[in-house]
Amino acid sequence: MTVTSVDHDQVHAIAQEVFAAMVDGDLGQLLPWEGELPELPEPVVAWVDLHGEWSGRAVLVTGHTTAEDLARALLGLPDDDEVSREDLEDAFGEIANVVGGNLKSLLPNPGTLGLPQVGTQVPTLGGAIRVQHLPLSWRGRLLVVDVWFAAPDSLTTTGGNR
Amino acid sequence: MRALVIDDSRTMRRIVSGALEKLGFETIQAEHGRAALDHLEAGERVDLCCIDWNMPVMDGLTFVTEVRANPAWRAITLMMVTTESEHGQIVRALAAGAHEYLIKPFTPDAIRDKLDLLGLVALEETA
Repeated sequence: MTVTSVDHDQVHAIAQEVFAAMVDGDLGQLLPWEGELPELPEPVVAWVDLHGEWSGRAVLVTGHTTAEDLARALLGLPDDDEVSREDLEDAFGEIANVVGGNLKSLLPNPGTLGLPQVGTQVPTLGGAIRVQHLPLSWRGRLLVVDVWFAAPDSLTTTGGNR
Repeated sequence: MRALVIDDSRTMRRIVSGALEKLGFETIQAEHGRAALDHLEAGERVDLCCIDWNMPVMDGLTFVTEVRANPAWRAITLMMVTTESEHGQIVRALAAGAHEYLIKPFTPDAIRDKLDLLGLVALEETA
């Protein structure tokens, strides 16, 4: 198994499909980010671990306001409805879960999927290699999808709360 | 008709329940397989269970196996609703006793199509 088993275009296609089905209703809302990457204010990070012959982690990062809007879209809430921290984390974690689950299905001899976790920092993974980095634009705002390849015993999570 | 929606994500429980309610189902929810079994053991009557695979406490496959082991619950239709999309996983779930399999992400139309296949759409969809 190589660290390059996960293809950039496949990851983008999965993310687009997840957003089209769960969030937007059409495929055209999640595009490659153009230009320099801005700093994310109040980042929200959701990730899910993949355990098996190919072990790694799918990580989604966006800003708090964007995560709130994603939760509203996912739950069909009006734009001015308040989103609780619990709902925000659950919704963003579920998006990471579905992205990770579909990523797993691409792998030869896929193993098991961990439960989604959400935090405010990208979790550390000792010795891991980032194999894909996709800065994307959702409604003009930055959302990053990263895929990490890691030794199975390094997949102990830190910083999550779900 | 009544449906039991089993998923550790409250977001997904709301999405699935909302889609089912538009199709005329009354819904109840559980956050994992053990909580769902508690509903059934308490005598809740349900026609359909929509079941996530990966959950804490009791996963969806174990729940399916437990339900199928009890003859009193054999009329309940079991549909997996999960990100587990590998062929081997689908075969495992169907072999354990699930009737249908819906892969996340899905659209409300996909739920309706699956329920149509199962003969379980109760009402015309409401707005």
